[in-house]
Amino acid sequence: MSNRRSNSTDSTDRHESVRLSSEQYFDRTVEQSVVAAVLQATGPTRRQLLAGLGGAALTALIGEVLPFDKLKAFAADPVGKPEKKDVVVGFIPITCGTPIIMAEPLGFYKKHGLNASVKRAAGWAMIRDWAVNKEVDAAHMLTPMPLAITLGVGSVPTPIYMPAVENINGQAITLHIKHKGVKTAADMKGFRFCVPFDFSMHNYLLRYFLAEGGVHPDKDVQIRVVPPPEMVANLKAGNVDGYLGPDPFNQRAVYENVGFLYKLSREIWDRHPCCAFTVTKEFATTYPNTFLAMWKAIVDATHYASSAAHRKEIAAAIAPTNYLNQPVTVLEQVLTGTYADGLGNIKKDPERIDFDPYPWHSMAIWIMTQMKRWGHLKGDVNYKAVAEQVYRAADCDRIAKELGYPTHQATSMKHTIMGKVFDPDQADAYVKSFAINSMA
Amino acid sequence: MPSGTKSNPWLISGFLLAVFLLGWHFFTMRPTFDSRGMTEEQLQMMEFNGDIVRTNDGGYTWNPEKEKVKGVPGPLAVLEKARAELGEAFEKKGTNDHGIAYLVAYTVSRFAAGFFAASIVAIMLGILLGLNKVLFRAVNPYIQILKPISPLAWMPLLLYTVKDPKWTAVLVVFMAALWPTLATTAFGVNSLRKDYLHVAAILQLSWMKRLFKVILPGAAPTIVNGLRISFGSALVAVVPAEMLLGELGVGYLSWIEWNNLDIAGVIFAILVVGFVGVILDSGFNKLAGLVTYQE
Amino acid sequence: MAFLQVDHATKYFPNPSGEGQVCIFKDVTIKIEKGEFVTTIGHSGCGKSTLLNIIAGLETMSEGGVILNGREASGPGLDRMVVFQNFALMPWMTVFENIALAVRSAYPDWSREQVTAHVHKYIALVGLKGAENKRPTALSGGMKQRVGLARAFSIEPKVLLLDEPFAQIDALTRGVIQEELIQMWNTSRNTVFMVTHDVDEAILLSDRIMLMTNGPEARIAEIVDVTVPRPRSRATIIEHPHYYRIRNHIIHFLVRHAKHEPDSEAASAEASVSVAPVEVNFEKESPRAQLTAL
Repeated sequence: MSNRRSNSTDSTDRHESVRLSSEQYFDRTVEQSVVAAVLQATGPTRRQLLAGLGGAALTALIGEVLPFDKLKAFAADPVGKPEKKDVVVGFIPITCGTPIIMAEPLGFYKKHGLNASVKRAAGWAMIRDWAVNKEVDAAHMLTPMPLAITLGVGSVPTPIYMPAVENINGQAITLHIKHKGVKTAADMKGFRFCVPFDFSMHNYLLRYFLAEGGVHPDKDVQIRVVPPPEMVANLKAGNVDGYLGPDPFNQRAVYENVGFLYKLSREIWDRHPCCAFTVTKEFATTYPNTFLAMWKAIVDATHYASSAAHRKEIAAAIAPTNYLNQPVTVLEQVLTGTYADGLGNIKKDPERIDFDPYPWHSMAIWIMTQMKRWGHLKGDVNYKAVAEQVYRAADCDRIAKELGYPTHQATSMKHTIMGKVFDPDQADAYVKSFAINSMA
Repeated sequence: MPSGTKSNPWLISGFLLAVFLLGWHFFTMRPTFDSRGMTEEQLQMMEFNGDIVRTNDGGYTWNPEKEKVKGVPGPLAVLEKARAELGEAFEKKGTNDHGIAYLVAYTVSRFAAGFFAASIVAIMLGILLGLNKVLFRAVNPYIQILKPISPLAWMPLLLYTVKDPKWTAVLVVFMAALWPTLATTAFGVNSLRKDYLHVAAILQLSWMKRLFKVILPGAAPTIVNGLRISFGSALVAVVPAEMLLGELGVGYLSWIEWNNLDIAGVIFAILVVGFVGVILDSGFNKLAGLVTYQE
Repeated sequence: MAFLQVDHATKYFPNPSGEGQVCIFKDVTIKIEKGEFVTTIGHSGCGKSTLLNIIAGLETMSEGGVILNGREASGPGLDRMVVFQNFALMPWMTVFENIALAVRSAYPDWSREQVTAHVHKYIALVGLKGAENKRPTALSGGMKQRVGLARAFSIEPKVLLLDEPFAQIDALTRGVIQEELIQMWNTSRNTVFMVTHDVDEAILLSDRIMLMTNGPEARIAEIVDVTVPRPRSRATIIEHPHYYRIRNHIIHFLVRHAKHEPDSEAASAEASVSVAPVEVNFEKESPRAQLTAL
């Protein structure tokens, strides 16, 4: 198996404590049957091996749930054609979903053999229902949602796969222009905030920020769930003091001259995940080739979007009524990172929003610790197991590699949020380390 | 006024409309942009933020794109929006962007399906209840409890059981249209003059003849009244149902325009809904005229 | 066995004010021969309309039975057609359609031409030619009841039940229609059971008049033979010597059994002693006997 090791993304010697559990299960299934069958079927030449490995790797992703015969059949056919070409992807009209959305007008779905249409949902609950009821084949979701839905929190438990993160960064705390003088979280006691959904990075980041400033999110302020466009309207009407919401609605508030950008989310946790591309486990296992084609398209689009040179083009592509239905100026400001901050300044921050598909397990674990912290999740959770099951990190890398994009050394890493380090291996301790929480 | 001159109601109508439009226009008018007293920096800021645009002669003016979303738009903005939408009425520019003609068709078909289904069920049930006093009294409490529940409140439950948002939208309309017709039909049949039923009994009319020659025509004016109320209720329900379920239609349009804070678009969508309502309602008047009778 | 016989009819209603039941009439027996025209007179609430409805089969009695031509009659039927006080014409149908509805029900095998001819015949009979396509709302009360009569006669029922048929028609038209009724009845000679308040009408039209006491537990106290020979007319009937004797007799009866007064001792005594109705016939009995009967 030495060939495989040198081609793969993992290198056990170069890593310290973080284990590559997805690699371990790959080992298990692969060693048990599939690669052996593939290697035998395709013959030993390197090119054939690679092709065979491509097929094997792909089939191994879903190997544990596919019956053995199916695996053999797949292994014998290294280039799997999509079982169904017509797919529907649900999205919410916010810039977080840029890769999913732009993949239609900019031809990424088509490039990977799919005839995809993107269907616009009115809110997160709707898109959750669409995914669970199979109204759509894949869906744009908030990164905590696949975890919540798989765990049956706030919905019928349905196993969801999250093969790719859509965007990192890309949010902001927007406050009403009358709060220009606010300096710290402590000044925000008594404020009324909005977030788009309970199980969202917006909610968790806002709460983290407030708690760090000594403000209890459930006692000292109000946080309401409001659909993003209504956030701006509410701000205009003076019903809320601010929100931590997705773009373009932060920039929109500035555009409307009613709000200013108090803090970008990347100032809270740089490169935090926000939205994701998801499918139900059932879809992935029933239509594995279609699933993989979609995945490739998304990873491809995400990498395209991460390049600064393409941002203007993308803004123009997703502005029309069929997609985001926003003025191009607003989208450009968000995507290029050259924007008006609402206080009379033009700021430049090219990493205001970025796109990186890799679904770090440690991100999942962080989210779960916060869910526990605020009482969204009760009882003991096997953080690692759930993260692995839902956030398909290793698999994402295989796709990336195939498409020629860089890959990662590990599936977990330490993150720093507002100066405090999060170690995914010490999740329980982390949860208990917060003075302000709603666990009781 | 000299006797013999008739005051023309249409003139008054037109006059009221003109006054309203003028008032609306003036109320939402804004002075042209005046760049005096602004620093270069401020102007650049405003241009960057899309508030103003450069004109051909180097000056500045308010950005028409932004005019749509600055507060309440004037009648001209709405007219412009209407012109744009109607121009593309028959196009399909993507999964989420169909022309207004299609949207109207979707909404009307959704509405019609729910309304007709509800009307048939309500009339049949209503007749049954109207003819049988005991049954009526037994079932009436449930009707009274369920009747005032807003049809939109049923939506989550329906979506959960039915799962398909298209059918859920139709069912929401169904729930809205069911109760008024049911209640009035039962009442109308119940209060049908006993003499008519006696004549039917003496003449030994078959149940079908009794239904179609005596009961239905007798209760028809009341039933049509009930249908009218149901109709209004269903029309009110279809728009938010579309918004909540994300199904393409006129209600969906107004939500999408709201998403973009394009109030002119929202007003336009409202007007379209109103227009559709007027057309359907006049159809109703014709129907009502056919079945009324005087004792 | 009479052609139309009501045997020991008793009717209870639930007591409106509380528990228990009220007996409207008790043990009423009526015998009507074929071709007879019989009227019942009594105060409001004595149950005469209920009695008519029972014969028509539109209501049920608590005890007793109705026998028509030897067979028990239960439930409504085309053999016992009703003419209603408030006409009961379907307002959404024309005059023609109202009568045709009945004709088609009575003669389901007839062709359309037969039905049309028959309906037109009866419309002409009641003098409403030209009004075939009018709706009831466009007709006066008198015209409406003419349609009602046409409808009833057109199905040639065994028994015709007239429930205060002219009560809602103005007094002047009433007289005219009464004579029209006599004309129609003369030709077809149906058995008729009528209920009315109008004493003159009763005398003009009937062969016998039944006088009912007041409720509760009303009964038929007397049966008066109308000894004025037919053919009768309004102008001539008042000349007959028995007319006013009959009329006064009935009026005295009604006064004695005035609704809101408790029955006089004599009346209640009368009520308890004689169960069978007393026959009053001014031809048979001597004037003296009539006075004692009072």
